[in-house]
Amino acid sequence: AGFAHTGRTMVKGAWAGEHPRDRISGNALSPEFTVDPKTGELAPTPGQIVANVTCQGCTTLCSVRVRVDAETNTVLRAVGNPYSPLSTDPFLPYETPVRDSLTSLSRFEEKGLKGRSTACGRGNAVLQMITSPMRITSPLKRVGPRGSGEWQKISLEQLVAEIAEGGDLFGEGPVEGLRALRDLETPIDPAAPEFGPKANQVGLIAPVNDGRDAFVRRFFNLAYGTINYVGHGSYCGGAYRSGSGAVFGDFKKMPHAKPDMQNAEFVLFIGTAPSNAGNPFKRQAALAGKYRTDGELNYVVVDPVLTNADNRATPGRTNWVPIRPGTDGALVMGMMGWMFDNGRIDTNYLAQPNGKVAEAAGEAGWCNATHLVIVEKGHPREGRMLRASDMGFVALEEKDRYGDGDAFVVIDASGAPAAHDVAGGAAALFHDGVVQTSVGPVAVKTSLALLREAAKARSIEDYSAICGVPVEVIAGLAEEFTSHGKKAAANTHGGMMAGNGFYNAFSVVTLNTLVGNLNWKGGTIFGNGRFPDSGEGPRYNLASFEGAVKPSGLPVSRPIPYEKSSEFKARKAAGKAYPASQPWYPNAPQLTTEYMTSALGEGYPYRLKALFFWNSNPVYGIPGMGLASVEKLKDPKVLPLVVSIDPFINETSAFADYIVPDTVMYESWGWTSAWGGVPTKLTSARWPVVDPRNDKTPDGEPVQMETFLIRLAKTLGLPGFGAGAIPDVDGNLHPLEKPEDWYLRGGANIAWLGKKPLPDASDDDIALSGIERILPRLKATLKEEEWRKVAFVLARGGRFENQSGGFVEDKAGHTFDKGLLVYNEALATSRNAMTGKRWTGTATFTPPAFADGTEMRSVHKAEDWPFELVSSKSVLISSLTILATRLRHLHPSNPVGLNVEDAARLGISTGDHIRLTTPGGAAEGVAIVRHGVMPGVIAVEHGFGHKELGARAHTIDGERQPEIAGIGAGVNLNDLGIADPTRKGVSVWLDPVAGSAVRQGLPARVEKLASA
Amino acid sequence: MDRSRRNFLGLGAAAVGTATLQPATVEAREARHGGDAAHRWAMVVDLRKCVGCQACTMACIMENRVPEDSFRTIVSTYEVAENGKSATYMLPRLCNHCENPPCTPVCPTGATYQRQDGIVVVDNSVCVGCGYCVQACPYDARFINHETLTADKCNFCVHRVDAGLLPACVETCVGGARIFGDLNDPESTVSKLVASEDVKVLKPGEGTDPRVFYIGLEAEFQGRVDGTPTLWRPSRAKAEPSLV
Amino acid sequence: MDEHILELINVTREVAWLPWAVQYFFLIGISVGAVLLSLPGYWIGRPNWTKLSRLALVVALVCGLAAPVALVSDLHQPNRFWHFYVAWRPHSWMWWGSFFIPVYIGGLLFYAWAALRPEIAAQGRVDSRLGRLYRLVAMGEPRGAGLMKLAGAVVLVGAGLVALYTGVEVYVVRAQILWHTPLLPFQFLLTGLAGALGLVLVLNPIVGDGDARVEVKANRLLALVLAGVMVLGMVWLGLGYFDLDAANAQALRTVAASPAWRNTAIWAALATLVPFLIALVKPRGTGILTGLIAIHSAWMFRWTVFIDGQSIPKTGAGFYEYALPRGAEGLLGIVGTAGLCLFLLVVITALLPMPKRPATGAAETAFLHPAE
Ligand SMILES: Nc1nc2c(c(=O)[nH]1)N[C@H]1C(S)=C(S)[C@@H](COP(=O)(O)OP(=O)(O)OC[C@H]3O[C@@H](n4cnc5c(=O)[nH]c(N)nc54)[C@H](O)[C@@H]3O)O[C@H]1N2
Ligand SMILES: Nc1nc2c(c(=O)[nH]1)N[C@H]1C(S)=C(S)[C@@H](COP(=O)(O)OP(=O)(O)OC[C@H]3O[C@@H](n4cnc5c(=O)[nH]c(N)nc54)[C@H](O)[C@@H]3O)O[C@H]1N2
Ligand code: SF4
Ligand code: SF4
Ligand code: SF4
Ligand code: SF4
Ligand code: SF4
Ligand SMILES: [Mo]
Repeated sequence: AGFAHTGRTMVKGAWAGEHPRDRISGNALSPEFTVDPKTGELAPTPGQIVANVTCQGCTTLCSVRVRVDAETNTVLRAVGNPYSPLSTDPFLPYETPVRDSLTSLSRFEEKGLKGRSTACGRGNAVLQMITSPMRITSPLKRVGPRGSGEWQKISLEQLVAEIAEGGDLFGEGPVEGLRALRDLETPIDPAAPEFGPKANQVGLIAPVNDGRDAFVRRFFNLAYGTINYVGHGSYCGGAYRSGSGAVFGDFKKMPHAKPDMQNAEFVLFIGTAPSNAGNPFKRQAALAGKYRTDGELNYVVVDPVLTNADNRATPGRTNWVPIRPGTDGALVMGMMGWMFDNGRIDTNYLAQPNGKVAEAAGEAGWCNATHLVIVEKGHPREGRMLRASDMGFVALEEKDRYGDGDAFVVIDASGAPAAHDVAGGAAALFHDGVVQTSVGPVAVKTSLALLREAAKARSIEDYSAICGVPVEVIAGLAEEFTSHGKKAAANTHGGMMAGNGFYNAFSVVTLNTLVGNLNWKGGTIFGNGRFPDSGEGPRYNLASFEGAVKPSGLPVSRPIPYEKSSEFKARKAAGKAYPASQPWYPNAPQLTTEYMTSALGEGYPYRLKALFFWNSNPVYGIPGMGLASVEKLKDPKVLPLVVSIDPFINETSAFADYIVPDTVMYESWGWTSAWGGVPTKLTSARWPVVDPRNDKTPDGEPVQMETFLIRLAKTLGLPGFGAGAIPDVDGNLHPLEKPEDWYLRGGANIAWLGKKPLPDASDDDIALSGIERILPRLKATLKEEEWRKVAFVLARGGRFENQSGGFVEDKAGHTFDKGLLVYNEALATSRNAMTGKRWTGTATFTPPAFADGTEMRSVHKAEDWPFELVSSKSVLISSLTILATRLRHLHPSNPVGLNVEDAARLGISTGDHIRLTTPGGAAEGVAIVRHGVMPGVIAVEHGFGHKELGARAHTIDGERQPEIAGIGAGVNLNDLGIADPTRKGVSVWLDPVAGSAVRQGLPARVEKLASA
Repeated sequence: MDRSRRNFLGLGAAAVGTATLQPATVEAREARHGGDAAHRWAMVVDLRKCVGCQACTMACIMENRVPEDSFRTIVSTYEVAENGKSATYMLPRLCNHCENPPCTPVCPTGATYQRQDGIVVVDNSVCVGCGYCVQACPYDARFINHETLTADKCNFCVHRVDAGLLPACVETCVGGARIFGDLNDPESTVSKLVASEDVKVLKPGEGTDPRVFYIGLEAEFQGRVDGTPTLWRPSRAKAEPSLV
Repeated sequence: MDEHILELINVTREVAWLPWAVQYFFLIGISVGAVLLSLPGYWIGRPNWTKLSRLALVVALVCGLAAPVALVSDLHQPNRFWHFYVAWRPHSWMWWGSFFIPVYIGGLLFYAWAALRPEIAAQGRVDSRLGRLYRLVAMGEPRGAGLMKLAGAVVLVGAGLVALYTGVEVYVVRAQILWHTPLLPFQFLLTGLAGALGLVLVLNPIVGDGDARVEVKANRLLALVLAGVMVLGMVWLGLGYFDLDAANAQALRTVAASPAWRNTAIWAALATLVPFLIALVKPRGTGILTGLIAIHSAWMFRWTVFIDGQSIPKTGAGFYEYALPRGAEGLLGIVGTAGLCLFLLVVITALLPMPKRPATGAAETAFLHPAE
């Protein structure tokens, strides 16, 4: 019987296996073109298209060059776009003809080695998502209860009609449609008018801006009129961004600067892991590899887990320093203490009270280190900055006092108080005394003195004991960090997602302030953002339209002071202002975390009636969210309408009433930019290089996010969509009926930015860039003088400022000019709504805590939960990339890392089956015993442990979809997330200041289940 | 590993470790055919630059349509703990296009051979899938392609190189660690690096004279690695019910 | 200094030589061993060997005919086996093997024919439906010993070439540390002999007449051969342990630390020692037991060399894990070859039933004193 197989293969003739295309190169693709290595002459390959578009393998959103097989409408491969700094270093001058850009990656003159333009491991493989069998291509409506996994396909018409009009959609009783919910007049709660109108009960959870955010915002904010539109920041790196916002003085936009890895001599990465993750992932990775080898770059990664951020082959250039989770503030404050003690702070920078004198002193920026803070106990303005009007330097009307025009006060060189903006030179750094104000003496300290106090609150030995980093290492890091002038930088991100992440991040970012490295080559740089497509552009006004709504009211996540609420007034009147029912987050932006728990579960501050998820998966991505929200999400009485706009059924969209199939990656339009870390301005293009696989409307438009929202808007009669929705500069109106009506006009705006518009694309550019495919749409949508310029942009995959714009001599070409805050007055004077206590105004160390300040470890004691869980990103697998079989097969699961000593104590060896338990849940996994994990830490690589996306089979129109065990492999740390025991009702643990989801330092225990 | 043995190994390996450009044996040279003898293609892998992103691994798979669960190249990633200090070590592996390849002479059909430009290829229309070359390669660089049922391996993306392009893994190398070029051209980057850097090769003792050189290669990693093995198992084997 | 290396990302290689290869080397080894055991009886004409050689010849035939099928099956492109014969690949031992195998199998058939010709002719004299066929195959009545001498010489050369190539083909693979030892060809030969004796012992009561003298003789021989196997094993260990041979030393170092390999080694040692002791101490009445263990031991030796050998990564750490697939690439191959052997055995013994010839007294003495 065994020979039957042999027999069968023999019968097959000369080819027992598959017959590959070529006898030597097998099934390899035909090259995209050939380049004569001697002359550089290029010969395209018929049938293959080479085009520059944007990768969505992660939020880095690199511009990449893809190869498309025109006949089969499939994307074959991706490499980098050589025009883009996100993929190339050095990148091509923007003017370069497309033809030269193609040869620039070839062997001709070894150009491809010098100007390598890359896609990363994920970027190479994620094109598999387009053809994934898990993809949905038709609108789906649930059959049976939410989450049952039973669906029926419906038409776009039905989808739009049902969502707009509502009705008894599921035989479960009436559901309010969007028409009924769009009430811009009636308040949600007459007793709390600050909540705003009923339209706010429609919310949307959107991702990172994938290049289409402005379009979706146009619908939800400006046309529909809800205020509740939120990104994923609170479960991405919200703590870092808020901490950075504290330094940059903006808690809503949360500006942040990144190390200039090309020129830095020393970078301290604390809780971010360049080239393991980090954003921009690929650019940082490329720069790390290059400059630690060929350049001056040395770096240290402080992380509980050893990752690919390290490299042993560059001894001395990269170093890993293990740390206990959630203790970075201790490390950094310890460093600061050493720096203060040893005079290793940049006094020349810190002492400059304003930008002018800073510039004169040779600095590239300034900060409020010298600004005086009122520290007088019981003073009505205790904790606030001393102002010029307090001193009688200016006479302001009462309403203008303490506003922007009311200067801060410093002690100038003569020892006298002076307004910060008129001080002619350096001011006192550590003043601690009394100044005579117009109403008498007041005790003040400089911001820097307060920071020093915070740093010296504990000894370096105490800090060392807290964070587990030896004293010499803390001192050594401080010394190294302060030994490179402005060419040293500190950075952080995901490692800050601990229960004290805000202050940890504030501390890390303040390190940069202490060496004054902002805006310096080799220091931290701000980048130059994007060429805007969707603003009030030079060609079209995509920012506003006739009838646009200005959304108003209180976002459900309460990013404003509690003291402004009706609840506060009522409670205060009742004699007990604190605690509020739930925490408020005045020092944070809108928070997805609170949409999903407090608003959904508790109806606080008010209930949402319809929730949209677009391109997001908070149930998977937020620790503890599954536990906290799924039961509520499942209940139509709690949340009557759930719509997901997504090409896949993920852990969140599995609970939707409707799923609108969206386009995937290279099928979509959009204009994206870099999240940070690029010194030059850039906008990357997304345009459909392949025909979307989704259903088509009768007029041939693919069903996707845009078609859905346009139809919904038109059905609801919303402004800003349909005929005459887009005004051009001359006031003529243009339609918004199709995606390209929006994106191509955005492209025209991009092309016209600057002193003069961009040149026209040449015929050769057009022929070689694959945009032939969409040329008819360019011509039909754009004006005669526009389409070739937009083609110029699309052919190059976007618009990129030339390399030279990044720096002007030794300073950044684009700078942040406002003063940085050593002491943040807004923070210091805002209160924890649960306790009424004020927050600390400078960087400081505070242990991980719950909303009311209760320390986590006082609830979940170390005796019961001896370990702490942390999460690190996987190099290859993320929530999305789990769908790419090639990545999954290279890295099929995420064994759980634990330290050798811990493992020895527990009798656990590599390969053993173990159970992890936290107060929030339990999960089983396989152990990997590592030296590269801090003792006491359990390291879980993020991206695995899926329950959906194919791990569970859904049924569509009675047909069972594929179910793939490998998609569910491994552990998701977020299944182990914990609730906040100090809050009422359902919650997940958030940083009390930033409201960011806590995924680092979860209390846990571990036990062995079975040997390998 | 105790100090004495490590040092002993370290020294021994260092003595033979540094790569030299040994010419091929006459036999090996005579057996070559195809390709252009004017070139000698080679790769230098600068381990200092590798970031372990596996872009090379994926690009190779996508470009060459390598079957699921098979790899022509892979970046082995290690955690090395030494004297209380741990670090990550990343080692891209692929066919070395040896100057004296032990894989070709054993082939009973001549399906695998070395081109005159040094690239070792397999003619899948001739290969009987006997697997002898797979056994003979000291680097585990070969495997039986379970779609074509013939021997498979990295071929330096010969179809791209012949088209004037770079191998897929080189083109997309994020860290810039993989450098490809012509050893016969003294001006090429690979020639310069081989001349100027302390390049090493894998298993120098095998006499294979690899033409994939490494910068930053440590003695412990030149041969079989003495450590805790990967937990990876081919999912193909897992999918098929197994008995042992 | 303390150093620990942990592989975080790496992949494993699947075996390129499947269990089919184990079967091939097992069968061809036994066939060669059995041919050697048949020579004293048929070629040299030692009467006290007749019965044993007769059994051995059947074993040689069964295994020899099944072996090439297993070999072709191990090719992933079996249909292309002819590619061997249109190439000039003198560097390749496998290529040489592709010529040696037909020489051997052809020689074996020729030799078996010559050896069994009297029996065939005898069958032809019996009036049966197949009588004509027997007569045809017998090609007349055997006359003189010339043909036999020639056939024996041919098969001896064939067997030698096969023993040489199967051993050397594997031995020359430097890259497989477990294979690259000059002892291997001898180990293959001796374990092949042990397997052949094992089969003789097992078949003696089944297809033979269960003659105790055959059992004792075969057991004595088995003890001798197993002693040789053990000596070779010790030499291998010694070469490695005392670092006399670099490749051996490396191979030993590689496997020594592994508990799985230690178990294998203990098992292999027991599988050799136990039948050796039994065969030595109580050669009578234990044939089935020693025979089965010897067969097992011969098979296991090859399984260890090929399958376990291929589980040693050439560059990576630890060992690749082998999971025997149920399909044609695994279990089915093993079961299939076993089935084929059984089928061949049934056919051969049906066509040529064991002749019942009373043994002479002299022969009996010889049986009891095989060393003479
Ligand atoms: N490979 C890969 N790269 C990506 C992404 C991806 O999915 N995969 N996604 C992108 C996105 S969306 C983002 S936001 C960025 C995030 O990029 P990073 O911030 O670099 O990544 P994270 O893994 O979130 O966190 C960084 C490190 O923090 C460590 N850490 C955990 N707890 C602590 C702690 O208490 N203290 C310190 N010091 N460290 C701690 C973790 O071990 C981890 O290695 O990456 C982007 N790049
Ligand atoms: N434990 C742990 N949790 C984490 C992290 C961690 O490191 N550890 N990382 C955090 C970070 S940094 C982030 S940014 C978040 C990310 O979390 P989210 O922003 O929620 O993003 P994803 O999880 O990537 O899920 C996005 C979903 O979009 C869908 N999608 C994919 N392609 C498309 C498309 O083309 N169009 C549309 N409409 N939808 C698409 C897929 O269904 C996918 O599941 O996760 C956070 N959660
Ligand atoms: S970093 Fe990689 S996955 Fe992320 S966008 Fe860039 S190429 Fe794609
Ligand atoms: S690495 Fe292996 S396959 Fe490649 S040439 Fe050398 S021996 Fe042959
Ligand atoms: S597998 Fe193919 S290439 Fe390799 S030795 Fe056998 S016939 Fe030659
Ligand atoms: S050269 Fe080509 S075949 Fe070889 S590893 Fe690189 S991509 Fe794969
Ligand atoms: S692509 Fe380059 S940097 Fe990335 S893993 Fe491969 S060799 Fe290393
Ligand atoms: Mo993120």
